[in-house]
Amino acid sequence: MPVKPSEIHSLLPALVVFVPAGAGILIFLVGRWLWTRAAIAQLAAAATLGIAVAIGLAVMNGQVLICFGHQFRVDELSALLLVLVAGVSFIAIVYCPVYMRKLVREAGIPSTTRGRLTAFYGWLLLFVATMLWACMSNNIIMLYVAVEASTIASGLLVAFSWDKRALEAGYKYLMLLTVGITFALFGCVLVYATGSSVLGGSKGMLISELRRIAASFPSTTVALASAFLIVGFGTKAGVAPFHPWLPDAHAEAPTPVSALLSGVMLKVAIYAMVRTVTLFYPNFPPVAAFILALGVFTMILGDLMALAQDDLKRMLAYSSVSQMGYVLMGIGLGTNLGIYAGLFHIINHALAKSLLFLAAGAVMYSTGARMLSEMGGLAKKMPITSFCFFVGALALSGMPPLNGFQSKLALFVAGAQAGAWWAVVLGIGTSLITLVVLVRAAKNIFWGKMPESIPESAREAPARMCLAMLVLAVLCLAIGIYPQSVYSPLSKAAKSVQTIVTDTPNALAKR
Amino acid sequence: MILTSFAAVEAGNLRHATVAYIFQALLICGLLTVYSVENSALLYWAGTALVTKALLPPVFLWRATAQSQQETKPLIGFGPSSVLAILILILMYVFTHKHAGLFVQAAEGSSTPYEIGEGLISLAETNLAVAFTVFTLGIYAILTRRDAIKTVIGLCLLENGVHLSLVSLAPTMRETALAGIATEVVITVWLLLYIIGGIRDRFGTTDTSQLSELHW
Repeated sequence: MPVKPSEIHSLLPALVVFVPAGAGILIFLVGRWLWTRAAIAQLAAAATLGIAVAIGLAVMNGQVLICFGHQFRVDELSALLLVLVAGVSFIAIVYCPVYMRKLVREAGIPSTTRGRLTAFYGWLLLFVATMLWACMSNNIIMLYVAVEASTIASGLLVAFSWDKRALEAGYKYLMLLTVGITFALFGCVLVYATGSSVLGGSKGMLISELRRIAASFPSTTVALASAFLIVGFGTKAGVAPFHPWLPDAHAEAPTPVSALLSGVMLKVAIYAMVRTVTLFYPNFPPVAAFILALGVFTMILGDLMALAQDDLKRMLAYSSVSQMGYVLMGIGLGTNLGIYAGLFHIINHALAKSLLFLAAGAVMYSTGARMLSEMGGLAKKMPITSFCFFVGALALSGMPPLNGFQSKLALFVAGAQAGAWWAVVLGIGTSLITLVVLVRAAKNIFWGKMPESIPESAREAPARMCLAMLVLAVLCLAIGIYPQSVYSPLSKAAKSVQTIVTDTPNALAKR
Repeated sequence: MILTSFAAVEAGNLRHATVAYIFQALLICGLLTVYSVENSALLYWAGTALVTKALLPPVFLWRATAQSQQETKPLIGFGPSSVLAILILILMYVFTHKHAGLFVQAAEGSSTPYEIGEGLISLAETNLAVAFTVFTLGIYAILTRRDAIKTVIGLCLLENGVHLSLVSLAPTMRETALAGIATEVVITVWLLLYIIGGIRDRFGTTDTSQLSELHW
């Protein structure tokens, strides 16, 4: 296939997947005999982040990187997700060693500690690799394969604690996601089969080719394929009403894994949805309207459920459902500003929710408690964690001067511009519920009187964990105070989605 | 296909259900081999199905049922299930034939010899009707069977339905994509059975209605 002027062949996309995957396999093979499993994981995560940043810089200079023919294609949207996944993964992996050692020691996890931790780091790196792979796949069938691979790689991570709750969560996670995502496979195959009837052969698998001819699809095929894709990738993204696996899995997985599941895995699923479903936006507006309605329903339901939780991690998980609703709202508006705001909220939620999960993990690490009703008065003992949790909570509630304020403001302006006032009103109302949910949780944990069940010896989390949290908190503050720093990559990424809209008629005219 | 699906869903003994599943997987391999006379690429599909459907999942299922072969009583019994299975088959038959254009138009572009000509298009429609029925029976098993291992058999049926429908929808699909899809099913089945092993140890049962640690 001819290479367009802006496209250049590069090995970086292959490398960004092979580095974590190779390190994961290396840990599986020899990790049992090494004391440096965590060091290998951190080194691999750092290298992955470095490569992702290099890809990001190249793409921001106007290049589109392709690899393995056109199987991998990194445009602005892919690059944005790559850097986000690699960045949050690196921070979560830095946080891991101290936390995981204590978890394994105290939970009485069967088998030798060494073996369990080897498997943990091995699967964790493979999980990161599959998410990165999904962000770059230009092959619509392999996009499904990569998204499903990320479910497989994280299945045992969810069930890691191997107690009753974790096993139940792991079973539900694998079963529900596998069934759900099979619908996405049907959707992808339907798109491919219809596309290949025009494009011929394996070209029909390439998203970059499909988007040129998506307007010529029969409307019934579009309706059916979109429904399958939304249900399939929506299940993985925690969109209501396909979300029941999410609170179980996110709450029962070890905290660094929860941060990755909530922080980036949901976004990879949303990315897959954006890549596939927006193919039909220009000529089939009902698809966008349906996503908008689903988004608003998700944001309200998620927050109402979060309001009723006493389990800290479960509350955060339901809050993720709600925030995914905001992202969907932006994507569903279908305008440039709407998609821009949706992508902006993807970044902000990834940073703030990972921060909240890591802070929740720090509290659990120091006190052993996980129920909100069993906590209180920890601000003096854990000042850094307290600060970080409040930053995350206020950011997600959309309070200035934090990053969540900027993306929600953009989202509501986009909604108003598109005339979707009902969605804006409901969005603002739900934001108030988010504020109640998260700030009430923060107040319960850090203010008031410390219950007797919490040991007097409870103290601030180890430096490494605090450092990971502080980096995320600073990023939340920095983007909130200086949002211009992300304007350029975001608007380019939004435009690369919009290209689908503007390209299609021209491409058809040329045919 | 329908009979083996039904037997796999309804058999009270998990090993009998596994045998019914093996029969179905072999039937798929046989069908694909017959189709491959028209489209040689399908021979590769048959080989993939042999390994990833007829060989590996049954081995995992056989090992998982070593301790207890009796299935936990399902939510919906034999009588209503039979009626439902027939209804699903009729519905799917009507759906695929009524909306033939949706799928056959999609399949036409594949330019494989076996889909050209009215008789062969009708074959594709019937194949899809059967595939969708097997898929729906798989979902039905997952929803109504209380035994966790039976739900895994349901998942295998569901994936068989997918595999079969791909033959009509995307016969020119690249081998790498097909191998990816098929391999993932095998790994998922292995992981699920591994976790179910843990559930049996901790809960003392594979009855999913006993998995009530996590509420909404």
